[in-house]
Amino acid sequence: MAEMWDWSPRPLARLAFGLMLMLSATVAAAAGDALDRPGLVAALCGDAAALGRGAEAVIGSAGSAAPDDLAFAGGVLRGLLDRRLACVGTGAVLLDRVGAADGRDVLTGIPASATGGRSPVLGLRQRGLVEAGAGIVALLTGATVEARSAGLATLARRMGTLPEADAILERARTAEADAGLRRAIAQAMQAAALDAPDPARRRAAIAAIAAVPSSAALSRLTSLKADPAYIADPAFRAALDTGIASVERAVAIGNGLALAYNAVSFASILFMAAAGLAIIFGLMGVINLAQGEFIMVGAYAAYGVQEAFRWLAPGLIDLYLIAAIPVAFLASACVGIAVEALILRHLYRRPLMSLLATWAVSLFLINGVRVAFGSQNLQFGMPSYVSGGVPLYADFIVTWNRLFAIAFAAVTLVATLLILKRTPLGLDIRAVTQNRDMAGALGIRTRRVDRLAFGFGSGLAGLAGVALCPIYSVNPGMGANFIVDSFMVVVLGGVGTVVGTLVAALGIGGANVLIEPFYGAVAAKVIVLVGIIVFLQRRPEGLFAARRRR
Amino acid sequence: MTDFTRRGLIGTAAALAAPALIRPAWAADTVKLGCLFSSSGTMANIEGRLNYVVRMAADQLNAKGGVNGRQVEVITSDPASDWPLYAQIGRQMLQQEKVAALFGCWTSVSRKSVLPVVEQNDGLLFYPLHFEGEENSKNVVYVNSPPASSVLPAVDYLMGSDGVGAKRFFMIGSDYVWPRTINKILKGYWKSKGIAESAWREEYVPLGFSNFQTLVNQIRTFAAQPGGQPIVVLTVVGSSIPDFLREFANQGILATDVPILGLDMVEADLEGLDTTKLVGHLNCWAYLQAAKGERNKQFLSDWSAYVKAKAVPFSADTVIDPMVSAYDSVRLWALAAEKAKSFAVPDVRKAFAGLSYDGPSGYTLTMTAENNYVSRGVFIGSVNETRGFDVLWQSPDAPKPVPFSPYG
Repeated sequence: MAEMWDWSPRPLARLAFGLMLMLSATVAAAAGDALDRPGLVAALCGDAAALGRGAEAVIGSAGSAAPDDLAFAGGVLRGLLDRRLACVGTGAVLLDRVGAADGRDVLTGIPASATGGRSPVLGLRQRGLVEAGAGIVALLTGATVEARSAGLATLARRMGTLPEADAILERARTAEADAGLRRAIAQAMQAAALDAPDPARRRAAIAAIAAVPSSAALSRLTSLKADPAYIADPAFRAALDTGIASVERAVAIGNGLALAYNAVSFASILFMAAAGLAIIFGLMGVINLAQGEFIMVGAYAAYGVQEAFRWLAPGLIDLYLIAAIPVAFLASACVGIAVEALILRHLYRRPLMSLLATWAVSLFLINGVRVAFGSQNLQFGMPSYVSGGVPLYADFIVTWNRLFAIAFAAVTLVATLLILKRTPLGLDIRAVTQNRDMAGALGIRTRRVDRLAFGFGSGLAGLAGVALCPIYSVNPGMGANFIVDSFMVVVLGGVGTVVGTLVAALGIGGANVLIEPFYGAVAAKVIVLVGIIVFLQRRPEGLFAARRRR
Repeated sequence: MTDFTRRGLIGTAAALAAPALIRPAWAADTVKLGCLFSSSGTMANIEGRLNYVVRMAADQLNAKGGVNGRQVEVITSDPASDWPLYAQIGRQMLQQEKVAALFGCWTSVSRKSVLPVVEQNDGLLFYPLHFEGEENSKNVVYVNSPPASSVLPAVDYLMGSDGVGAKRFFMIGSDYVWPRTINKILKGYWKSKGIAESAWREEYVPLGFSNFQTLVNQIRTFAAQPGGQPIVVLTVVGSSIPDFLREFANQGILATDVPILGLDMVEADLEGLDTTKLVGHLNCWAYLQAAKGERNKQFLSDWSAYVKAKAVPFSADTVIDPMVSAYDSVRLWALAAEKAKSFAVPDVRKAFAGLSYDGPSGYTLTMTAENNYVSRGVFIGSVNETRGFDVLWQSPDAPKPVPFSPYG
């Protein structure tokens, strides 16, 4: 200990450390009194252990601290999480935004410079405590219902580790004005009473936990089977067994829903990637190896739209993905038509040559984009409707980006079918697909139909680029990930049918997702491939063979 | 730089055309160095940068008059993330181009494929990635750390009270030698600590896998089971890393619920991601961009200037451990060649003993006569909001590397 008080190059820091040790002890002990603000600031600017104690002190006093103290603590903790708290000397400065040169002194509110300050790096343990502290303060003092319920959610995540939870929830419930949130808090309190001495309260806690089913709730209830009351108290046993059974059922249903959702979302990705190819391959028999790169072009067009919004209409930036839909379609369609007009039309009826040529086009596009934009993943700002997710039932979470892709695929499917079945262009395309020579003899300009259909197929790939950019990384090489899968879908579905493509996408997506939990992702891929090979041996024309005369 | 991509269908034809892959650099008074880093395929985004770093290091050597009075000439190639192609190009570089040393490989499977080639031709391969160890060839210089000085300290940190007191482990890896060996060593390590086998789960995905919904669902179920704090040990590589992270964040799991220890996760993998929901996840390397010190500042400004001057198609502001390790490799080779006053592999190899070099990481890299491993420092990084890593912990000095793990 002697060296602790030795001369040090930073005597102030040492002094602060010593002070803080004493102060943080006081903070913790003096729950109910005013929060020791300088002590808290010194603790949060101290080492990892002190930081953890500081956050614990806030949590410990939250049940009884004065509202302005709570708001102060909340501001500091939030700032710490957002890296807006800079420790300067013995004090701290709260910045308005990350990396700002100056802000306001935490304690006095006087403008101060943050030069030479450091933002503490939170270890995982400390981060957990600080998050919990900030969440509790948000629950107690949040201005909006959303902020307070987000605080409740944070608290609920760590309920088991917080002995003070009861007092905090009680305080939040008394103060809460919103009836819905008050009910949620009351339910959380009920659930927290699992270890209460009163058997009736315990049974109510079991029911409260079972009312919000999840695998966490299941393991919490299951662990109670080891409780002595389970053997001694028949009412308790009955309540617990009923609770476990209902949670088990809900979790099973939730898992089933999740499985279905995963399958449909994977299928929608496969379908988006393969739809354009089905038309191009079906109509012209061109094996278009550049299809993946048309997807990439669509994604880069979406990026261009995002940047344009950022410059021209920053207020509407969240809508860029919607605005990107026509742009991406046109961009890829133009590239496709250019490829058809410049290269492919010279190579019809020479499938190997057109295959090589499209491969060259794909190399050209990859490297052109690489030179123009660089190889790194593009930075997309994801609007709230394609980021995060919402828990729907038990463990089933709907993730917005995948829902976006599913909806997108559904709309694309309907639009494609309408165009093919209900428009003159669609009629021409179907005619040329079924019998090119006869269609030509009847006066259909087959070359023009080829070009438009190729443009349409490429445009569909561009749409896939928009649908996929919230899900995958966008870089010049992204197209290569899709090409094999989309050929698999097209060949399995039967060349030239959109419905076949849809069914094949659902089949491959579903099979992959169903097999994966049991045998792993590697085996799933192998099994699906073997299945496809066997199927194609039996039925080389695929699931739905388009009627045609050659 | 020669760029070359191949796909399965036309692979054979392309492989036959391989001599065109290497751009020879003929000049009288030069010594040649060969690069084996892919600029296409699943590894392109991260591996591609290393070609340029090696060139930058060579340019710096040349600006100071070269090595042993000879200018350094760098020959690059594109093995296209196709493991056998690394060996083929490596052989050509050694036999036809007579390169003095090879710098290359990211995945262990590519290193394993080049290994017999460098051993047959008595070449020298500088390998800049941290890896699974369990290998000790006199023809490979292992510039980065084996598990004992990278993975195990990080796992210890997570299991300790400073971390989260991790008790249960969900391992996800790409299906090849590095993840499987790392996980084998980890399991041995946990067994030696008395942790029961039921405390971990092991899953593998194909290389380039992107559909992580089911696995993230499984992680949530695993996390909900009793038995203590769970963590994810992530050993997927390449484009699978951002895809996994995105799904993880979208399903609402925070680092304070289930932290990810991403063993191959670097700053470049976070490009394009919204990291506000990923803050707190960890990685461990022998260098982090946030490392303190003048040498790192110098390196960062050198790289940024080089990117701008040569129009390099990568970010000027992102520097990752393998880039620095590749840079260190060239400097180590130059130091050894100067010490040996020769470019012959046996002489250079002899000169490794006792070599020491101050790298951008802030640690002094040293080599001994015992093996071709290099002593490196250990960093544990924590993801921040700005798509980088903060230094959460770093070792006081560079631990002595242990090639063969006692836990494997």
